[in-house]
Amino acid sequence: MELAEKRAGADSINAIRAIVGDERIRTAKADLYVYGFDAGMHCNIPDAVVRPRTAEEISQILKLANERNFAVVPRGAGTALCGHAIPIAGGVVLDLQGMNRIKEINPGDLLCVAEPGVVCDDLNAALKKYRFFIPGPASSEAATIGGMAATNASGDKALKYGAMRDYVLGMQAVMPTGEIVRFGTRTLKNASGYQMEKLFIGMEGTLGIITEITLKMAPLPEKTAACIAAFKELVEAGQTVSDIIAAPIFPAQLEIMSDICVKAVNKATGLGLPECGGFLLIACDGHPEQVKDEIRKVKEICEKNKAFFLDFTEDPKRIEELWKGRKQMLASLSVLKPEFSTIMLADDMAVPISKVPDAVKGFLEIQDKYDIYIPPYGHAGDGNLHTKVLLDTENPDHWHQAEKAVREIYDLVLRLGGTVTGEHGVAISKAEYFFIERADSIPFMRAIKRALDPNNILNPYKIFDWDKSFLHNLRYPVQLAGKEKAN
Amino acid sequence: MGEKYSDLEKLKNETLNCTMCGFCKNVCPVFLDVGWDTGSPRGRMTMAYGLITGELEPDDDLVNRIFQCTQCRDCWRRCPGKTKCPDVVLAARRELVRRGKTSASQMAVMQNIRNTGNIFADLEVEFPIQEGDAPLFIGCQHLSRTNSTKKNIRLLQSLGVSPRIVREVCCGFPLEVMGFEEEREKQVEKLKEAFPVNDNTILTFCPGCKVHLEKIFGREVRHVLQEINERLAPDKIAKPVNAKITYHDPCDLSRGAKTTKEPREILKKIGCEIIEMKHVKESSRCCGGGGGILTWDAAMSDRLGLARMEEAIATGAEMLVTACPTCEQSLKKAARAAADKSGAKPMPVYHIMDLLFRAVR
Repeated sequence: MELAEKRAGADSINAIRAIVGDERIRTAKADLYVYGFDAGMHCNIPDAVVRPRTAEEISQILKLANERNFAVVPRGAGTALCGHAIPIAGGVVLDLQGMNRIKEINPGDLLCVAEPGVVCDDLNAALKKYRFFIPGPASSEAATIGGMAATNASGDKALKYGAMRDYVLGMQAVMPTGEIVRFGTRTLKNASGYQMEKLFIGMEGTLGIITEITLKMAPLPEKTAACIAAFKELVEAGQTVSDIIAAPIFPAQLEIMSDICVKAVNKATGLGLPECGGFLLIACDGHPEQVKDEIRKVKEICEKNKAFFLDFTEDPKRIEELWKGRKQMLASLSVLKPEFSTIMLADDMAVPISKVPDAVKGFLEIQDKYDIYIPPYGHAGDGNLHTKVLLDTENPDHWHQAEKAVREIYDLVLRLGGTVTGEHGVAISKAEYFFIERADSIPFMRAIKRALDPNNILNPYKIFDWDKSFLHNLRYPVQLAGKEKAN
Repeated sequence: MGEKYSDLEKLKNETLNCTMCGFCKNVCPVFLDVGWDTGSPRGRMTMAYGLITGELEPDDDLVNRIFQCTQCRDCWRRCPGKTKCPDVVLAARRELVRRGKTSASQMAVMQNIRNTGNIFADLEVEFPIQEGDAPLFIGCQHLSRTNSTKKNIRLLQSLGVSPRIVREVCCGFPLEVMGFEEEREKQVEKLKEAFPVNDNTILTFCPGCKVHLEKIFGREVRHVLQEINERLAPDKIAKPVNAKITYHDPCDLSRGAKTTKEPREILKKIGCEIIEMKHVKESSRCCGGGGGILTWDAAMSDRLGLARMEEAIATGAEMLVTACPTCEQSLKKAARAAADKSGAKPMPVYHIMDLLFRAVR
């Protein structure tokens, strides 16, 4: 799709100013620049940044956008990794962090209601008093629940507890054409027609703007215990993952790390994990007796797969440390090689669980072939694997090597029956490979987008409408021939 | 490319290695106050990157955001990649000041120090000059409180410390945080001349001075609380304070000097029961007085102070105790603001040395 700018001119900006007031719109260059970036690898500068407070304000802005043909890009904490919040055609960024009220916690109905700008960890701090939680991504201390819903975020607890889609019961949303609607219910199940609230999960801000969310809550487990296991080879760790699931055991968390990742975490956090080819971090939770039994079985499976180091802890402080180390993986990798930057490439593929060993073996072969760092790690228990590419961002050759390596990674993942994205989404950086994975369903996704957003004003040119390589609109200071910024 | 930012350029890799994870946002008191990403550490890193690449000009909005940082360094503590965000901000400030981007009030502070060697341009400062073993750096803030400083010195002496006090000059720390690098370098030379050190341990009353003096002398400088805690035996306590207090960790003492244990141990020794606030020790929140914010944006300084004071009040403690003269000042002001807001009496705020003096025989 040809990328046409959808800029907001001075008249449009003044009209928005009349809706929200002077204090909640910014057009200073510094603000526009900062909101041109998110946690991904792309950037593009908007024309204004607005902090709406109500669905009504958002509705008015969207109606204006349709009249005047400027783009509107919703944004939570800006922690998404694939360019979701980048205003690629210009326009207006709606910063929803100010809509951050927790409106209701209702243990009797097993639900809570909150605005989209509530930070996941803040919500969980409030839910903890009632002994409930919602599972969050590794970025839970910064990510907002609106962004989590819009990207179907999930994290290390998805194997047992599911992803955001499993928690959203209902929502209030503003449609691209400005109508304020309610989808879903306050019931734990419903069969009342199309479940539009589920369609909105993972829509990446392209179908509407979520202004209130009703979430199911999960009970906090009575007990948690963790087991760490080190293997000489990464494939042994991968095989262990598959054997644990087949046992069948459903750990709360089951994480895999390659040798580079272990070194990076040790260097960044001082956790002192045993250096090895493959490392597993496993947590079981629930009733104390069940936890004890599961941990025993997990240890047996690890031993069978030649774990040379096994440790077990019930100490909540140690468990917290271990998971904090894992959650910091992304930034830890940048500590390991300070001369390189950690790039969000091939960052969250998922494969069928039994294919985890094949996938990690293949990733390491691709790493050796291209002589760049692609350390695999991830939520192996649900088949979701991460790699990050470490490269010199100013060196065009590194980018081109990375491009080739990433293509091979995705080819492998798709051959293994996997998906190019298990939890981070598509937006810009995965679009090229998403086209291969979902070739037959893309026309129907597009049809939905065109029906709901006829003027293509809401977060345009993302997912199936981004037909360029990920090397366009990079936020790094590198010149790549033919890959100049889109506008 | 725009004009060259050579000082900032040295930290370009820091801006590139920032993964933009955003973990710094919700620990940053300024971001929590302003709400816009431009007011967050991540935003400041992005703006610094924009200056380096020439994509941003140092206009008033950018300058304001760069100077709004309180240098509390909580972003650095939380950063999983240990990206040097506070150092990037300081480098950006140096670059901006070189281009004349500063404020009249910060210029005034700089001129005070340059012309008088004292942050307040106080020419009447009474230096309690004395011979002794340990070079004691009092600091401008404590020097302005003649009586309490004399008491503090007596307290140290009663615990067996023999301080050597000279006619010192400002250590230059305020110049560093405000970006006056050339003036800071000159001030450091003046300081070295005015404050000769020997092989004995250097002591100071002020957390900010401690951090900066360590940088200057390249060796450990002890905050007096570290020394006092080692020397404070139970038989020295004549009149226990017997109060429920909450303790505010000054940023430069907790994150800067990793000194969180000693003040708490001292408070317990003198009979205080500590009720902790939500953000304590290495995760403490700024009082609203750090990083030059007091002179850059007084209204923001007041709001940050009030937020911290409300956290203190929420503990139900009888009083707030801290160990930094700037924190004490900011929080006393905040206590009055909180009282005006709620109609209750202001929460009493004390410097830990004042409580110590009362308790020790």
